Amino acid sequence: MNLKFIKTDLILGVRSWLRSKGTVFWTILFPVLLIMIFGAIFSDAGNIEYDLVVQDLDNSEFSEDFVGILRNISVLNIIEIDSDEDITEYMLDEDKSVALQIPEDFSETLQSYFVDTNASVNLMFYVDPSEQTTTGVIKSIVSSVLYEYNMGFTQGKTVVGLDEEKTFGEDFTYIDFFVPGMIGFTIMTSMIYGSIERNTKYRKDGILRKLLTMPVTRVEWIFSKMLFMLFLSFISTFVIMLVGIIAWGLNIQINIFFFIIIICTSFMFSGLGMIIGRFVKEEETADMAGGAITFPMMFLAGTFFPLDQMPDFLQSVAQVLPLYYVNEGLRNAMIHADLDKTLFFTGFVVAFAFIFFIAGVFLTKWKED
Amino acid sequence: MVEKKVRCPNCGKIITCSGNPGEVVKITCPECNAVGKVTFEKLSLLEDAAIEVSHLKKVYGDLVAVDDISFSVRKGEIFAFLGPNGAGKTTTVEMVESIRQPTAGDIKILGRDIQASFDEMKEKIGVLPQEFLSFERLTVRETLVYFSSLFQNHADIDSIIVSMDLKTSENMLYKNLSGGLKQRVGVAIALVNDPEIIFLDEPTTGLDPKARREVWEVIAGLRNRGKTVFLTTHYMEEAEYLADHIAIIHKGKIIAEGSLDELINKYGDESILRIKNCKSKGTVGVLRSHGFEAKTEGNGDVAVRIDYKERILEILSILKHECVDYDTIDIRRSNLEEIFLKLTGARLSEGAA
Repeated sequence: MNLKFIKTDLILGVRSWLRSKGTVFWTILFPVLLIMIFGAIFSDAGNIEYDLVVQDLDNSEFSEDFVGILRNISVLNIIEIDSDEDITEYMLDEDKSVALQIPEDFSETLQSYFVDTNASVNLMFYVDPSEQTTTGVIKSIVSSVLYEYNMGFTQGKTVVGLDEEKTFGEDFTYIDFFVPGMIGFTIMTSMIYGSIERNTKYRKDGILRKLLTMPVTRVEWIFSKMLFMLFLSFISTFVIMLVGIIAWGLNIQINIFFFIIIICTSFMFSGLGMIIGRFVKEEETADMAGGAITFPMMFLAGTFFPLDQMPDFLQSVAQVLPLYYVNEGLRNAMIHADLDKTLFFTGFVVAFAFIFFIAGVFLTKWKED
Repeated sequence: MVEKKVRCPNCGKIITCSGNPGEVVKITCPECNAVGKVTFEKLSLLEDAAIEVSHLKKVYGDLVAVDDISFSVRKGEIFAFLGPNGAGKTTTVEMVESIRQPTAGDIKILGRDIQASFDEMKEKIGVLPQEFLSFERLTVRETLVYFSSLFQNHADIDSIIVSMDLKTSENMLYKNLSGGLKQRVGVAIALVNDPEIIFLDEPTTGLDPKARREVWEVIAGLRNRGKTVFLTTHYMEEAEYLADHIAIIHKGKIIAEGSLDELINKYGDESILRIKNCKSKGTVGVLRSHGFEAKTEGNGDVAVRIDYKERILEILSILKHECVDYDTIDIRRSNLEEIFLKLTGARLSEGAA
């Protein structure tokens, strides 16, 4: 192993990288920018708050109780409007995406339940279809409230006492969810595009042909490049976590699985980049191929939003994406500290890394036909 | 037939055997009856050959890119492989550099088979691949340090920078260099291990005439430093200016080979002496009476075919004696472009047919 070359390659690689403002931006500043933007959008002292317009047409003790339960959920900001107001016009004028209307026969139906168990009443949801994410979240919260409320009635118990934690889901903030996804996404893009550059641009520029006539082996070259890529992975991970902690009070833990996932993710996506670079010869096409893989993966693998907010078929798609296992592995290792799940996802990440990297190394070709 | 003495590994007896170069001969020890094989090395075509290529062939499916070519490059000379685009130059040089696998044929560098000793040979060759571009965000000096770190044998980076006239740009980023400077850096990279043989694949393609001239001076300087240069080019002026020996390749075959003078003498037409704006009538008749083939051209010039250089003085003497009035004399001999046209029916600059 030519250690002198590996050292020189690493030092000059870092120097060359630092001189590329674009690469530094995409590796470090871009993820930082995303954390700041998404953090600002979704973090309000660690909580998310949604506006819910409520119109009580019943104005009874029952309906007031129900509205009271909704008020107790801190993620909901209840805006009550008069019963004579046009609810859809109000939504349009005030730019509200969701409204809930309690019908006139709400209390009457509930009271009749005790004599007629088939009695039922429907609350009317008014939603803005362009705000699917927000409406989806609010609908799931209200559904949970209704579930508890109905349970109380059918079992003769009071409906008060709806647990906010249960209603909203797990006890972590959006930024806690977002940072591990951002780490996975950043490593993925750095590794894939880095590998593509080495395998297409360097081939086009004759650098690979040049190296073939020099006393360096393919393994030495890939090894030294991987050291550099690992350096990049850890630098960007460190910066993302630092910004998350300083700006948004990120609460995470570092353990051995965290390091295993970071290292394996670097190898996994470098391997994937090598595979792309092997089959797509043109530099521009290879960039597009990289984008075609990274962008859908970025949105479908639960980087920015929890998968359970997505339709079922997209959740199934996520299960076959390597980035999904990286994101979930990091979340379980860094945030939830769930050992079983961490082991499960880390196992997949290690397996993906092994398969992609070995395939990438074998497919990387210097010699011409 | 060559004789060779070998020691029997079994009993130690010295056995004399004979065979042809390149042949593997079976022998039996007369003392202990042990059986073995003796390989007779192929002989070099030239005593001072840096590169020897014999019966080299490269086939891609139905396409024969290089068709059974043989040539030798002497140590210390600039060897130009001249041909249009697609003629097989780069395929050949990349097979010699061991970047491509030949379909058939033998390649020796410094007397050693390239396939068997390529790792060792890497220390002794320097390569500038076709259309080579180095790392954009390293400076010239960093680039040379980077490539130098790969070799056990290093040339002094400072002296390379000086000899390639890169001193003023040594701290510039590669991406900010002009095309000519980039090619000079490419040549400099090929020198970082102080190689004996330097391969330059189309080193001036895409450069403007001034930058091309600068690179030519750098390449000419390599010969002065005792380096062997294998140059591929489709510029006939480049081969004429630089090469000690030229091989013209067309459709995968070497169609002519020799020094520039040898090629012109062998394949070129006789030189033409042109008496520009000849005002004296009867000049053609006078020259013809002295046995010259002369004719008047439409613009008033008189063209005289000369077959050997001593006859030029004779013509000048006649013109002086006959008091012929003219503007100037122009002597033109055949060039590589004309030779290529004559041999192939195509122009070098038009690309491969």
